[in-house]
Amino acid sequence: MLKNKDSRGRKILIYAVSILLTLLSIMPFWIMIMNATRSTTEIQQHAISLIPSGYLMKNLAILLGKSFNPAVGFMNSLVISTGATLCAVYFSTLTAYGLVVYEWRLKKIYFSFIMAIMMIPAQVTMIGFYQMCYRLHVTNNILMLILPAIASPAMVFFMRQYMYPSLSLEIVQSARIDGAGEFRIFNTIALPIMKPALATQAIFCFVSNWNNLFTPLVLLTDKKKYTMPIMVSLLRGDIYKTEYGSVYLGLTLTVLPLIIVYLLLSKYIIAGVALGSVKG
Amino acid sequence: MVQKYIDANPDFGYSVSSTIIATTDGAYQPALDQALAAGGDDAPDMYCAESAFVLKYTQGDAAEYAAPYADLGIDVAKETKDAAIAQYTMDIGTRPSDKQLVGLGYQATGGAFIYRRSIAKDVFGTDDPEKIAAEVGPGWDKFFDAASKLKAKGYGIVSGDGDIWHAVENSSDQGWLVDGKLHIDPKREAFLDYSKKLKDNGYSNDTKDWDDAWFADMKGEGQQPIFGFFGPAWLINYTLAPNCGGEKAGEGTYGDWAVCTSPIGFFWGGTWVLANKDSAKKEAVGKLIDWITLNCTKDGLQYAWANGTMNENGTKDCVASGTVMGMSDGSIDFLGGQNMFDVFVPANQYAKGTNLTQYDESINTIWRDQVREYSAGNKTKEQTLADFKQNVSDNLGIEAE
Amino acid sequence: MKKKKQFSYAKYGYIFCLPFTIAFLIFSLYPTVYTAVIGFTDLHGLTMTNFHFLTDDPFKNFRDILNNATFLTSLKNTCRIWVSNFIPQILLALLLTAWYSDPRTKLKGQGFFKVMFYMPNIITAASIAILFKALFDYPMSPANDIIQTLGLSSGPVNLLINKTIARGVVAFIQFWMWYGYTTIILISGVLGISTEIFEAAAVDGANRVQTFFLITLPNLKTILLFTLVTSLIGGLNMFDIPKLFLLGGPDNSTLTTSVFIYNQAFSGGYLYNRAAAASMIMFVIISVCAAILFYLLRDRDEAKLQKEIRKQKKLMKGGARYAEK
Repeated sequence: MLKNKDSRGRKILIYAVSILLTLLSIMPFWIMIMNATRSTTEIQQHAISLIPSGYLMKNLAILLGKSFNPAVGFMNSLVISTGATLCAVYFSTLTAYGLVVYEWRLKKIYFSFIMAIMMIPAQVTMIGFYQMCYRLHVTNNILMLILPAIASPAMVFFMRQYMYPSLSLEIVQSARIDGAGEFRIFNTIALPIMKPALATQAIFCFVSNWNNLFTPLVLLTDKKKYTMPIMVSLLRGDIYKTEYGSVYLGLTLTVLPLIIVYLLLSKYIIAGVALGSVKG
Repeated sequence: MVQKYIDANPDFGYSVSSTIIATTDGAYQPALDQALAAGGDDAPDMYCAESAFVLKYTQGDAAEYAAPYADLGIDVAKETKDAAIAQYTMDIGTRPSDKQLVGLGYQATGGAFIYRRSIAKDVFGTDDPEKIAAEVGPGWDKFFDAASKLKAKGYGIVSGDGDIWHAVENSSDQGWLVDGKLHIDPKREAFLDYSKKLKDNGYSNDTKDWDDAWFADMKGEGQQPIFGFFGPAWLINYTLAPNCGGEKAGEGTYGDWAVCTSPIGFFWGGTWVLANKDSAKKEAVGKLIDWITLNCTKDGLQYAWANGTMNENGTKDCVASGTVMGMSDGSIDFLGGQNMFDVFVPANQYAKGTNLTQYDESINTIWRDQVREYSAGNKTKEQTLADFKQNVSDNLGIEAE
Repeated sequence: MKKKKQFSYAKYGYIFCLPFTIAFLIFSLYPTVYTAVIGFTDLHGLTMTNFHFLTDDPFKNFRDILNNATFLTSLKNTCRIWVSNFIPQILLALLLTAWYSDPRTKLKGQGFFKVMFYMPNIITAASIAILFKALFDYPMSPANDIIQTLGLSSGPVNLLINKTIARGVVAFIQFWMWYGYTTIILISGVLGISTEIFEAAAVDGANRVQTFFLITLPNLKTILLFTLVTSLIGGLNMFDIPKLFLLGGPDNSTLTTSVFIYNQAFSGGYLYNRAAAASMIMFVIISVCAAILFYLLRDRDEAKLQKEIRKQKKLMKGGARYAEK
């Protein structure tokens, strides 16, 4: 007999905790949106407010006036983030597949090597990266912000960890017997199995690329190539004249696409993807 | 402003592409440094440096990238004299290796004491700038005397210790570095005592400059009403005015302010304009820079700014050329009609441009942090100074004397 | 004896890993080697010209860093903050995973809640730092207003000058930003466990707690390892929040090693050599910790299998030699 007592006390506890966490998680968004409707001086006096004010249109005008072209910034951010995410997710899974499915001599060393790269603090490799870009005169090149994502050690690590228990060699063997080539097996069999992992990592990668301010800031000097975070930071240019209201509006606009993308991809995390491709 | 120049001089012949990088999060300097170091087409022909880090670009590690103004076709000696440029801004902009002028500021940021008229009348019986200047200074002793008089009637003299720091910092005899070693000038060391005095006696609201509470004091909405702020003209236009709680006389503290000579002369802020020595367009850059920093005729940028025709909202600012200031009228409603140039122009003389180092921004951050610990009562003076020296040594590699 | 010819797929391993390798060599190799090498020089200053290898004392930078009081403080802070952030985080994440992945618990709005939990991760650290600073500011802030209204203090209290509170807030922010991420990773890991195992366990009469500890957790080992290692790396490299919230203050109490390295390199002294040496030291520390984690969470079954295989191989070799004699 299934022990299936769903005590009400337990359920209430779960709901209570979940609601509390939800409020906690929503709070900064709420504050941000509220601030987007307030004027700079209102914000400078009381940074937090739970009720909106009436400066939304004014802030919008300032935003658009300061050469903040949301459409351009949005497109650039979209291109860079999507490109980087696609590269990272596809190639990381590819690499992980290579590490899991095949036996080759340098495998262990290679994997340790990838782990080692992951552990280097990011700040200091940045100097070298910028130097390299300037010396090679490839600044202002969006590709420089997309292609490096092909080598994403942390993602390879995650895909590998996920693949081990969920991808069984028998499937691969049976596909080979059926005459499928290696790449075909990867694309048609392995990838679908990895869907939850792909979705999860895609979200994280997209978010972190979208929010990345520093790297594009130093690399891109052409106004037409600015990403949204850069444009928002322009609003905070003068410490003497920071237009806080518009800044918050800019931040809200920056976050909005992320929320939409997240909601789109999150069904892969919410729904139970029934695995069980190996029967019997 | 570049746009205005092009509009005024249609035969300029060049299109100017400007790159704006925010100074927040410390992103500006690394970006500029990389661009200068790499050289080539992507390096800027003309660039700006704020007072917080200008030393690095005019005298310090990045000074070699700058082109002397003389190379840009500017007759330095004559023009600076004609325009009566304040000495301190030239000191900062002169490169020690060859004594050439490589940068000039277009603003003049000599500081004064900006106070509330109504409080002045209540405590001192008058709001006349000359009389108030005699009450709060010269010198810190008189300043603190005035503070106790204000306290007796329930007012604080300044918002926080940050307000008097700029005056203290700039008036010291020597900078943080002497012969490559960390030097704590006695006048700056005295800041520890001033800060503690302000807090212990309740002469201030113990705010930190640029924090919410500091802005609130401009409206008089802090714990106790605050008498005044230290600052140059830009503080009035860009910081006090928007935060005073109103836009015309009668609203908030608008119109309730006046300016008088500061107890100790100082300067705060400003932006210097430099040219890249590898620029291929030196003549054009020279014309632009000249128009910005030295032109003292009615066509120049400085005149427009001083008379409120530069910016859309008609703010008047103090500019570097004394000549222009003399030709302009600085009276604004915010100050109840007072002509602020009367106070600010002489103030420029007292500013010192010789006691700065390129590490000031970092050292000042460490210093202010330690002083806060001391005035909050968390450390003894010896401990504070020891920790300060330790931090500077650990972070910047500069040993104490 | 007939030897079966095995078609080796090994070369595909190399091919599949090729794009990663190429991208890495092009984009990351130069910066990484650059950093490693500088640690052994006296390179500093903006212009980065003429530097010398410290041939007479190659490890000088490393020694300087290890003797540097501020570095040691930052190391202590990093550990403290990471531990106080991570332990609640993983516990909460495991709890939420247990609740949300249990097929028997019918919870309404699961999807909604999961989406909400991840939200904090979407905002940039800069915005969050500003927000939290404003929350706890002195002398005017919502936190202070609450304290005074509750009568806990007559005047404003400088909360953030208290080192424990400052550290606590930083740890809390990190916790709050990442608990959703960890939860989602763990849940996706659970989704990868075949439902048949759960059904079999239910048939056997396992209750919720047993299911969680005996089935879910062990099968999550690989993902758990990922979470622990990435959290370790992320924690020991904590930069955004400490830097932007209080700049490492008050009095260096929220200074983490990454902020320390950044300050060495960019706060005016441009001591790139010391920054590089410090990064290398951190790298060694992280690797050691990660190696320990790998060891603790290794797949014991696979290790046993490998041992068996090795033993067999040895026997066969020995046997062949014996037979040859």
